[in-house]
Amino acid sequence: MTAAARPARSLAAQERRFALALLAPALVVLLLTTTAPLVYLAWTSLNRIDLAMPWLSGFAGVDNYAKMGSDPRFWNSLLLTAVYTASTVVLQVILGLSLALLVLQIPRGQGALRIAAILPIVLAPVVVGLFWRTLVLAPDFGLVDMTTRALGLGSHNWLGDPQLALISVIAIHTWQWTPFAFLVLLASLATLPPDVYEAARLDRASAWQRFVHITLPLLRPAIVMVVILRTMTALSAFAAIFAATGGGPGSATEILNLYAYRTSFTELNLGYGSSLAVVLLAITLAISFLMFRLRRAR
Amino acid sequence: MRTATTAAARRRTRNLVLAAIAGVGVAVWVFPVLWGLLTSFKTERDVLAYPPAVFFTPTLANYREVLFGASSILPNLWSSFVVATAATALTMLFAIPAAYALGRLRYPYKRASGFYVLVTQMLPPVGLIIPYYLVLQKIGALDTYVGLAVIYLTFALPFAIWLMVSYFEDVPLEMEEAALLDRAGRMRALWHVILPQVRGGIAVTTIFVFLNAWNEFLFAVVLGGNRVRTVTVAMFNFISVEQTQWAKVAAGAMLAMLPVILIGIFAQRHIVKGLTVGAVKGGGRR
Repeated sequence: MTAAARPARSLAAQERRFALALLAPALVVLLLTTTAPLVYLAWTSLNRIDLAMPWLSGFAGVDNYAKMGSDPRFWNSLLLTAVYTASTVVLQVILGLSLALLVLQIPRGQGALRIAAILPIVLAPVVVGLFWRTLVLAPDFGLVDMTTRALGLGSHNWLGDPQLALISVIAIHTWQWTPFAFLVLLASLATLPPDVYEAARLDRASAWQRFVHITLPLLRPAIVMVVILRTMTALSAFAAIFAATGGGPGSATEILNLYAYRTSFTELNLGYGSSLAVVLLAITLAISFLMFRLRRAR
Repeated sequence: MRTATTAAARRRTRNLVLAAIAGVGVAVWVFPVLWGLLTSFKTERDVLAYPPAVFFTPTLANYREVLFGASSILPNLWSSFVVATAATALTMLFAIPAAYALGRLRYPYKRASGFYVLVTQMLPPVGLIIPYYLVLQKIGALDTYVGLAVIYLTFALPFAIWLMVSYFEDVPLEMEEAALLDRAGRMRALWHVILPQVRGGIAVTTIFVFLNAWNEFLFAVVLGGNRVRTVTVAMFNFISVEQTQWAKVAAGAMLAMLPVILIGIFAQRHIVKGLTVGAVKGGGRR
């Protein structure tokens, strides 16, 4: 009997069984490595777990969450997370799009540009952070400081001054990830239909009008996608800041990730750290659901 | 005649200006890395020279120190290699069958299972590190290769599944149907007909998973230790409160990043696809 002659229903049932057999191992792994830890995290966030004073550990109810309300370092980390995420995403999109539009006008050498753009993306964030901390931003001997000194703008403590440190870590993140926005937008720009532009040119539309009325609307899906992905990366940023400033000076660059880490593994207060991690996860998931909803509404 | 030449000249100037601006953009990306490469061949004294020494006698002393000195990173390179390879092998083992099911087969709750995989991809690692630490501590798996490699599945598996789905979807449906009509079992059709079609996709996914595992830092620093200490953690060998040995940091970074830089250049055509795949799928058709 050939497969075609088999009743359709048993074929579908067979396909279903096969699919589940293939999928089950991966789903079990994901349940064990992501979902079960989340449940455990929810539990530890309701406990006092202090590795420095283990005799005080025990169930604490919502104490950890109640504590956040009056914890200025928590509110500071939330604010910094918002500033860090918003500014890096906006900078990456604007710089990436501008550069992609420019490069599209250049007849040759795009290949070399693409390779250059890949370089920051493949580097480990922790190495990027260290590189900037030493070779780029160190007072007196870093590239940036040498430049500002040569230009007569003086030497600055780029990672030691609270305000400059925040700007610096934003610059580091933007440096590493703008190539991503650039590459994606360049690829999308190359697929836009040329005849629309031809028609617009015949209608004597200016370059700016063509950009606003043709390029931007056509590019919208790509831009939305870049914004979503960049937001996710910014919300889980850790290693580059850890390497460059460790969250300091003081708590000047302590985004929520850094605060949760420091609370848990420097101050060894795993209970409070857990509740901060829960807040971080809730925020990330809420923002991603919101963004996907916006995207689907288009 | 005259207007034609001026127009041509203007176009040339315009192209030059454009190229110059793009060139600056590229320089900003490439220069720090080139500077690091240059620094890795300087003596610690030359590093601190101002104005910076462009001409200096290059030395291999930093590389010698980083590889064979007191705080050699050779064991760390080995740790990274073992962890990344094990994590990659495990990931591919689970990801390929799952991706085939998600991309090609009909079964109940398909949308929901795809969405679940996508959500797990979005969880920030800092959010999960505490339970991992507590559980691994309890079962005595801190500072072990197995512990770290299994934990790496959390970020590698969802990513690999979605990347592989995109390759499975590109295989023409007829190939599969022909294979099934040929009385080959489903498993054999998958193995002999479908998998050869996605060889390229498997290679790209493997490369990406390895790259991400090699670059990972947070899990490695918290869940590793003296035995399993990956090279990203070892970058701090040459930095202490008293002094930073800049040239050593640069040499160590160059050695640690050589594999991923080579991978990046080698796989450049696939980088964009690899980086965008999750969102394209999750937000789009499904």
